Amino acid sequence: MTGGDRAAPVRTTAGPIMVASGISKRFRRTLALDRVDISIGEGECLALLGPNGSGKTTLLSILAGISRPTAGFISWRPDAVARLGWVPHEPALYARLTVRENLRLFAALEGRRDPHAVAEELLDRADLRAFADRLAARLSTGTRQRLNIAVALAGEPSVLLLDEPTAALSPDQRYRLWRWLDELRRVDRLAVLFSTQSVEEAVAHGDRLQILANGRCVFAGGAAELVSRHGAGGGPQAAEIAFLRLVGAEAP
Amino acid sequence: MNAVRVLGKDLRLLARTPALLAVLIGYPILVALLVALSLQGEERKPEVAFVNLDRSGRTIVVGGERLSVEDYVARISEEVKLKELDPEAARTALEDGRVAAILTIPAGFVENLVFGATPPTVELVTSLRAAIQSEAITRRLESAIFRLNQQLASDYIAQLLMLAERVVAGGRITVFGMTGEIFGIERSRKLLDEVRRELVARGSADLARRLKPLEDFVAETAANLRLAGDAAAAIRSPIRLRVVATAPGREPLSAFGVAAALLVSLGLVGVLLAAAAISSEREDNTLVRLARGLVSPGALIGEKVAFSALASLVVGMLLLGLIALTTSLAVGRWGYWLVTLILAGLGFGAFGALVGSLARETRTALLAGLMLTLPLLFLGLVPENPTAAGISQAFAFGPAFRAFQALLVEPEIPGDLGLTLAHLAALAAAFGAAAAVVLARRERA
Repeated sequence: MTGGDRAAPVRTTAGPIMVASGISKRFRRTLALDRVDISIGEGECLALLGPNGSGKTTLLSILAGISRPTAGFISWRPDAVARLGWVPHEPALYARLTVRENLRLFAALEGRRDPHAVAEELLDRADLRAFADRLAARLSTGTRQRLNIAVALAGEPSVLLLDEPTAALSPDQRYRLWRWLDELRRVDRLAVLFSTQSVEEAVAHGDRLQILANGRCVFAGGAAELVSRHGAGGGPQAAEIAFLRLVGAEAP
Repeated sequence: MNAVRVLGKDLRLLARTPALLAVLIGYPILVALLVALSLQGEERKPEVAFVNLDRSGRTIVVGGERLSVEDYVARISEEVKLKELDPEAARTALEDGRVAAILTIPAGFVENLVFGATPPTVELVTSLRAAIQSEAITRRLESAIFRLNQQLASDYIAQLLMLAERVVAGGRITVFGMTGEIFGIERSRKLLDEVRRELVARGSADLARRLKPLEDFVAETAANLRLAGDAAAAIRSPIRLRVVATAPGREPLSAFGVAAALLVSLGLVGVLLAAAAISSEREDNTLVRLARGLVSPGALIGEKVAFSALASLVVGMLLLGLIALTTSLAVGRWGYWLVTLILAGLGFGAFGALVGSLARETRTALLAGLMLTLPLLFLGLVPENPTAAGISQAFAFGPAFRAFQALLVEPEIPGDLGLTLAHLAALAAAFGAAAAVVLARRERA
C-alpha cells in the first residue's frame, strides 16, 4: 500500500485512554523488553515498528494480558472502558466451527448478553455474511483475518491490538482491511495499536510511530518527525532510511 | 460458565466429526474384543525337550489297562509340547533357550512300575532364565503326573481288590507279572467244616472242637477282606468331582479379560482425547484468546478432563452394555460402574491433558500419549510384579484396573473399593493440577 491509499485522518480525542509505563520482560538471560513506555488515545492509530526480534509481539502480548511483564504497569484513563481486543499474528479461530459459530462462541465467552445478535451484527460489519456458514478452516487468508478481527471485536473493546495483521495479505486484502479498521476508528472511536515490519504501512496508517530495536524504544513520534530527525533528504525512502538508521542497520 | 461453553463447543466438534466418533467408539470395542479374545483363547503350550532313557519297550498291565512309556508320554503331551531329543541335544536346546525344560524318563521306568518296589522318578530340568515359564511348566507336569498317579493308584487298588477277592474265593491270579493258583479262604472254610464233621462222625469230638478257633479266624478274615473292598474304594477317590455342563448359551467371557479390555480401551480413549483436545486448542491458536482471562488454565484443563471423562463414560457404558447383552458375564452394579467409570475417565483425562499441555502439536500429543499410555496400561495388567504394581499405582491405570476387577469378579463389593476410587480421584486432581501449571507457564512464556 502506498501513501496515496491513506484514508482521511481520523480525529483523536486528547489524553491517552491506556498508558503502559516502564514495561520490561526478561526470558531467563535475555532481556526482551527494556523499560518501554507506550500510550494510545481514543480513535488513535499507533504503529509499533521494528525488525524481527525487536520485542513487538512480546509488548503486545503483555498489553493483551497474555504475558506478564517482569517490571512496569498498565493504567487506564478513569472514564475509559478498559477492554482490549486481541488480534494475534496467526488467526486464533476454531477451524472446525463455522464463521457464525466462532463469532457466537467468542461473544458468549466475552460475556455479551445476546451472543446471537452480536454475531449477526459482526457478520455484517466484517463483510462476512456470505461466509457465515462456512467452516473457518475453509476461508481464504484475507477472509480469515477479517474473522480474526471480528472475533476480537466481539468483546466491544476500546483498544484493538493487532500483531502484524497484514503480513500474509495481498495488496487488495490489505486495502480492504485498512478501510474497515479506519471505519472502526472513525465510527466507534476505537484505538488501534498495530505492529508491523513495514515502514511504509506504519507511515501510511499510523497517527504516531513507535520504533523498537533490541527491546528498547528508539523512537516515538510522528512520521514527519522521524524523517526530519533521522532521515536523509525528503525522498520517498526517507522514512525507511531513518528507520534503518535507528535500528542499527546499514542505510543505503 | 465459560468452561461449560467450551465443553459445549468440544462436544459439538466431536459430534460433527463422524469419522472420529466412529473411531472413538469402534476402536475401543475392537481393542476390547482383541484383548478379551487373546486372554481367554487357548493358551500356547510351552515346548519341553523329552529324553527317553527307557528303551526296554516293556509295557505294564494295571487293572486291565496296558501302559507303556509312549502311553505315559502321550498323556503328558496333553499339558506341554514335547520334543524328543537325545540328552546332549536336549541340554544344548535348553541352554540356547529353544526349549523351556527337559523331561527325562529314566532307564527301567516301566520295570519299576511293574514291580512297584521302587517308584520310578521322572526328572524335570528347568531354566532359571525363564523363571515364570519354568514355574508354569512345573505346575502343568505336576498336574499331569498327579492325574496319572491317581489313575495308576486306582488301577493298583482295583488289582489289589481283585487279589483280595481271589484270596477269599480262590482261583487263578496274575500280579506284578506273576501267575499262580490260590486255594482261597472260602474253600479253606468248607474244607475245615468237612474235616470237623468227619472228626465228629468218627467220635473225635474233642479234636473237632479244637478246630473251632481256626474256623472263626477263617470266617473273620473273609469278612474283613470283604470290608476292605469298600475302604479301598473310598481311598481310591476320596473326593470326586461331578462336572455338569449347562445348556449351550451365550459366549463365556472371563472377568479378567473384560476388565483388561475396559482398561485398555477406556485408557486409550481418555488419554488420547484429552491430549488431542488441549493440543488442538494450541494448534488452532485459540489458547492465546482464552488465556486473556476468558477461561483460566485450570478451568480449561478441568473442561478437557471432563470432556474426556464424559466420552470414557459413554464408551465404557456402551462396552458394558454390549458385554451384558452378548456374553454370559453378569455385569450389574450399574451405580458403582457409573461412579467408577467417571473417576477412571477423569484420571485418564487428567494424564492426557498433561501430555497435551506439554506437546506443541496435536500429532505430537497423540504420539506421545500413545507411547506413554501403552506401557503404563500393560504395567497395570501385571500387578503381581511389585515394580510394575508400584509404577501403575502412580497413574490412573492401576487403581482403575483394580476397581474394574472388583466390580466384575468379587461376589460382594469389597470394602476397599472406596479407597481405590479415592485414589483415582486424587490422581485425577494431581495430574489435572500439573497440567494446569504447565499450560499456564507455557502460555505466559
